[in-house]
Amino acid sequence: MTAQNLFSVSIFFIVFRETLEAVVIVSVLLGLVEQIVHGDIDHFPTLTEHYRPVSAHHNDSETTTPGEGESDATLKRRLIRKLRMQVFAGAGVGLFVSFALGAAFIAVWFTKASNLWSKAENLWEGIFELIASLMIFVMGVTMLKLDRAKAKWRVKLQHAFSDHRVDRRTRTGKWVLFILPMITVLREGIEAVVFVGGVALGQPAKSIPIAAIVGLICGLVCGFFIYQFASRSTLTIFLIVMTNLILLIGAGLFSKAIWSFQENAFNNLLGVDVDDAGGDGPGSYDVRGNVWHLDCCNPETDMPWGIFNAVLGWTNSATQGSVLSYVFYWVMVIVVLVYMKFKEGRTKLFGWESAAGTRRRLAGEKQAEEAVDERVSHSSPMSSTQSPPQ
Amino acid sequence: MWCRQLLPLLALLSPALAGVQELWWNVTYVQNANPDGLFERRVIGVNGTWPPPPIEVSTNDSLLVHVTNNIDQLATLHHHGMYFNSTSWMDGAMGVSQCGIPPGQTFDYVVPINTSGQVGTYWAHGHSNGIYVDGLRAPLLLHSPNETYGADYDAEFTISMSDWYHQEQPALSKAFINIANPGGAEPIPNSALVYFSQNGSYLPPIPGSSPSPVTSAVGFNENATLPFEPGKTYRLRIINLGAFAGFYFWIDGHDMRIIEADGTDIQEQPVDMLSVSVAQRYSVLVTARNDTSSNWAIHANMDTTMFDKVPSNINPNVTSSITYSTSSNLTILSPVSSYTTTNDSALVPIDIEPAIPPTNTIQLAFNFQTMNDGTNHAYINDVVYNPPVVPAIMSALSLGENATSQVAYGPYSFVINYGDVIDLVVQNGDTGKHPFHLHGYKMQIMNRATQYNSSDPSLNPPLIEGQANPMRRDTVAITGGGSVTLRFVANNPGAWIFHCHVEWHLESGLAVQFITAPLLIQEQAQGRVPAFMFEQCSAIGVPTSGNAAGHASATDLSGLPLGPWFQELGWLAKGIWAMAGCVLTTVIGILTVVWYSAMGGTISEEEIEEQVLQRIEAKKRKGKFFGLLKKKT
Repeated sequence: MTAQNLFSVSIFFIVFRETLEAVVIVSVLLGLVEQIVHGDIDHFPTLTEHYRPVSAHHNDSETTTPGEGESDATLKRRLIRKLRMQVFAGAGVGLFVSFALGAAFIAVWFTKASNLWSKAENLWEGIFELIASLMIFVMGVTMLKLDRAKAKWRVKLQHAFSDHRVDRRTRTGKWVLFILPMITVLREGIEAVVFVGGVALGQPAKSIPIAAIVGLICGLVCGFFIYQFASRSTLTIFLIVMTNLILLIGAGLFSKAIWSFQENAFNNLLGVDVDDAGGDGPGSYDVRGNVWHLDCCNPETDMPWGIFNAVLGWTNSATQGSVLSYVFYWVMVIVVLVYMKFKEGRTKLFGWESAAGTRRRLAGEKQAEEAVDERVSHSSPMSSTQSPPQ
Repeated sequence: MWCRQLLPLLALLSPALAGVQELWWNVTYVQNANPDGLFERRVIGVNGTWPPPPIEVSTNDSLLVHVTNNIDQLATLHHHGMYFNSTSWMDGAMGVSQCGIPPGQTFDYVVPINTSGQVGTYWAHGHSNGIYVDGLRAPLLLHSPNETYGADYDAEFTISMSDWYHQEQPALSKAFINIANPGGAEPIPNSALVYFSQNGSYLPPIPGSSPSPVTSAVGFNENATLPFEPGKTYRLRIINLGAFAGFYFWIDGHDMRIIEADGTDIQEQPVDMLSVSVAQRYSVLVTARNDTSSNWAIHANMDTTMFDKVPSNINPNVTSSITYSTSSNLTILSPVSSYTTTNDSALVPIDIEPAIPPTNTIQLAFNFQTMNDGTNHAYINDVVYNPPVVPAIMSALSLGENATSQVAYGPYSFVINYGDVIDLVVQNGDTGKHPFHLHGYKMQIMNRATQYNSSDPSLNPPLIEGQANPMRRDTVAITGGGSVTLRFVANNPGAWIFHCHVEWHLESGLAVQFITAPLLIQEQAQGRVPAFMFEQCSAIGVPTSGNAAGHASATDLSGLPLGPWFQELGWLAKGIWAMAGCVLTTVIGILTVVWYSAMGGTISEEEIEEQVLQRIEAKKRKGKFFGLLKKKT
């Protein structure tokens, strides 16, 4: 499909994004481990009491008896390291399984399905581009909420631990820090694999590994930086940029999907693949519904334009379908984002307020009242003495 | 009524001793014809039989053909190669010389052979909407009592060759000029036909063969044979009556000497193989062998280089035979290693006509292109030929003084003066070989180039003036990328079309027309133009006067069918607006993302925790939906 022989831009972005999310979550978990061990008692009442007995009873080999022999800090450090290893182990297993699944899927895909594919090339490409673009839509929009991940995960974790108080507490409780990252990474990994499978269709197999590996590395690096340095606002800016890039790719994919379906219909009409005829001149495209056609700049033959095609969905022969679908995708993004912000209560639509909005406003007003009261009560002794004497 | 039938007779009888050969041709459909033995189909025949009978006329006589249309579409009959001097309304080309004979009506074609000075091998075929492809075609032979080579042969046969389709021409045409065919791939013939005739009737099939009943009187392909007697010399008239494919023709075990091409007698030219493009004719002398121990194969192979593809289930090569003795076996020599193209420029006419210096040179550059409606069309000098509303001859007759205005006939027209010597430099921008035919004249082949835009004189030689006796014929093949210079003296007032004789190309617009001496046409038409010509136009609702669009003006061509046009690529207005729209929505989308994330307050961590807890409570209330995945949330 594109002429990128060694590096597929869309695969890079997909793998990057998935890795990033997985890394963020894992890093959040790692951060929580510290909080757990250093006794963030308010947040994890049962958790802390849960882990202290465990460390005492189940780690005979470590022979850490609380008391004179070891300092409390060393104990804690060892605990932190152990719990962190659980998180890493979970993440690692998840990664491995998703890779294995991915490799198997792609191997089967490229051998069996490429036969099917070559017979109805444009149709398959179109279907997968469509699926990929829809998933990117969801992904891109939810990515904007990633900055709330830390708080969200803390609460989830707390809840998960507090519930395991009654039954099977030791087993599940012990492994929760392993299972959660594993599931998370597995989910992200499978998402990435399906995406890559869809987008990879039609791209030379050589372009996938390098792009995927680079995406993986970049995701790890960026995730690490987010974990270490990110304040909420830096994270927000970073996420905005990433989301915009992802949505650009998604819109391009959606447009390409519609374009591929139309190309497929035209090929069926002609009975032969129109690319085979060669050239970009008259006769190489369907004049009905064509919006622009340039006798150059064909992403299927020129490498630089292929990159434009991968990132922005550029084509030298646009149809009404491909143009309208591109616009429609962004319109949906706008609509959904506006709706989400409305639902969260952070904005009003034509004077209407959502339930959450009402809640926030009332809470905000209450806080403001309380703040005023406090200020008033602090300064009240003075004011009472200033009341005019009788 | 009597007057209408008598008038043409009277016209012809003026050379007192000449006879008139009168034919009544009812053009009819013939069902279930299966000449190639592969497929039964409906064909267009004459008087209920197919193929239409060969027409053989003495050069002392005239020919009068009453053509009655008994099919359900318009029909005409064009006597290919006949001059029709000053009477071009008899030429039979729809859109140029007549409107087409409506179903049920009759057109009397007066062919003044005895005053034309013409002799030799010609043919007659339909010339309206491609009906000749469905079978309306037959040899037309002009026999002189004093043939140039009369003493050199003992008997003659006529060999008709053509490509053959199993589908009817209108369906093929619709599939050809179609948005699903942007490359302009011509319909591929399903087979080829070769059949023989002598003395006005077709030769029967070989005894013992069992041909299809409808055409069982005629031998086709391997069932066709020429009976040769040892020691005799035969004249074989070879005609390509097809729609698309050229033929390579040769006879195993026998030599050929060309003595005539397109009705021009020439000095004997020995050849091993003939290449005959659509509508071309040759006469060759073949001397029979002295022994009857073997029969010999006659080969007629279609030139498949212009076929879009050659399906494996068609046989483009026909093998007929010469029979010396019915008890002998047929000798078929091993296939030839290569085909040879006949160099007709090198032929020398017997009657000497030197080349006169030209007064006008008209360049006609043609090619094919996918047009703005997605269909593939041909164009000459960037104009696609579409038949005008009013046939050109009627415009010439009715426009008065304005008849000399070239514009009035449509952008594909040229008005030339009587006595002009015209050079047509026809340049082939396509890769295929195209046989071009000019009605009403024979053309002198002055020059040929293999690559018309080359500066190498071996590929693009300069024209040599003062040629003493250049070859002349009415159908000239132009090879891919090449050109040919054709010269003729405009001494025949009338409306004459010049077109590629591949039927598909004519339909897609590869034609121009020449109006010679329009004012002379008007003068000489007095009392000679038949009234039924105009009546037939009115019967189908076509105006009979005015310019090409039917208006009595030299310049107002509104309503003239034209086009389709070249595609305009690049950034047009609609493309620019579309791109702007895309960019605009993208920008708004990006701004929305920013607005969502960075503006309007953020949700604090406490709020997030509250929301998550609420969601968990809600899920618990709903119950264990995914019993497997959620342990006990």
